[in-house]
Amino acid sequence: MPSQNNVHIALLSAYAIVLHSLEALIPTPIPWLRLGLANIITLATLIMHGFRAGMMVTLIRVFVGSMITGTFLGPAFILSLGGGVSSTLAMGAVRGISGRIFGPIGFSLLGAITHNLAQLFLAYLLFVRNLEAIIFISPIILLIGTITGTFNGIATGLPKTLSCMYT
Amino acid sequence: MKRLLSMATLGDKILFISLFIATLISFLFVKDLFPAGGLVKVTVAGNTAYLLSIEENRTVKVTGPIGDNVIEIKNGRVHIKEASCPNKLCVYQGWIDRGSIICLPNRFVVSVGGFNQRQSSSGPYDAITK
Repeated sequence: MPSQNNVHIALLSAYAIVLHSLEALIPTPIPWLRLGLANIITLATLIMHGFRAGMMVTLIRVFVGSMITGTFLGPAFILSLGGGVSSTLAMGAVRGISGRIFGPIGFSLLGAITHNLAQLFLAYLLFVRNLEAIIFISPIILLIGTITGTFNGIATGLPKTLSCMYT
Repeated sequence: MKRLLSMATLGDKILFISLFIATLISFLFVKDLFPAGGLVKVTVAGNTAYLLSIEENRTVKVTGPIGDNVIEIKNGRVHIKEASCPNKLCVYQGWIDRGSIICLPNRFVVSVGGFNQRQSSSGPYDAITK
């Protein structure tokens, strides 16, 4: 990677960390409802710089963001890392196979749903060995993923978003 | 709205609609899967701690890795009265008469169901403590 790219990735990571930290401050009506705003940045990075950069931004965001919110190495951190890495992998893979089928909204939906399902799966494996409970919350998880995925996809697709990031 | 539709590719629309349908179906499916049962099961770190009748009003204390949580059964519903975690998500979830309340920090799950009616139909007792 040329040094210009590295500077840009550092900047994008900073954006992602800020969004991730701000999100932790927003009170939400339903538990486990997160907007996943940082995914806007991951998605933009994937579009601009490709998969490796996207994964780097995700990893930096999860590690530094969790240190800021005070969840580093706790259960929330494990879920956040698993969800972030899985969703970046999914978006990167689909983009690599067929970059033209989906626009930002489709990628964002893919990312959100993968993120949520990965977290659900991890939560089951590590913390809640109760299949009934997991099945019970999965519709809510799907619903939240669809809503936040669409929202973040639209935010990523706005012409202003990408031009803002090209500083 | 027009701009939004022009932004979405065909793939986006298909994905959105299929996810929307999947969500609807899963809601209906889960509703059928969890009839409001007559038993409340409390598991701590994977082991069943209490099996209680939902008809009987009572309060139990569960001790997990980070402290005590108080579970209350009242008028055929269950809620978490007190929690020892910082977020109190389980308390905010409120009253349930089906499904589950999950607490990650304290590693316990409260679920309502029939649990194959094995215990409920087999004897005249109203609670089993293991």
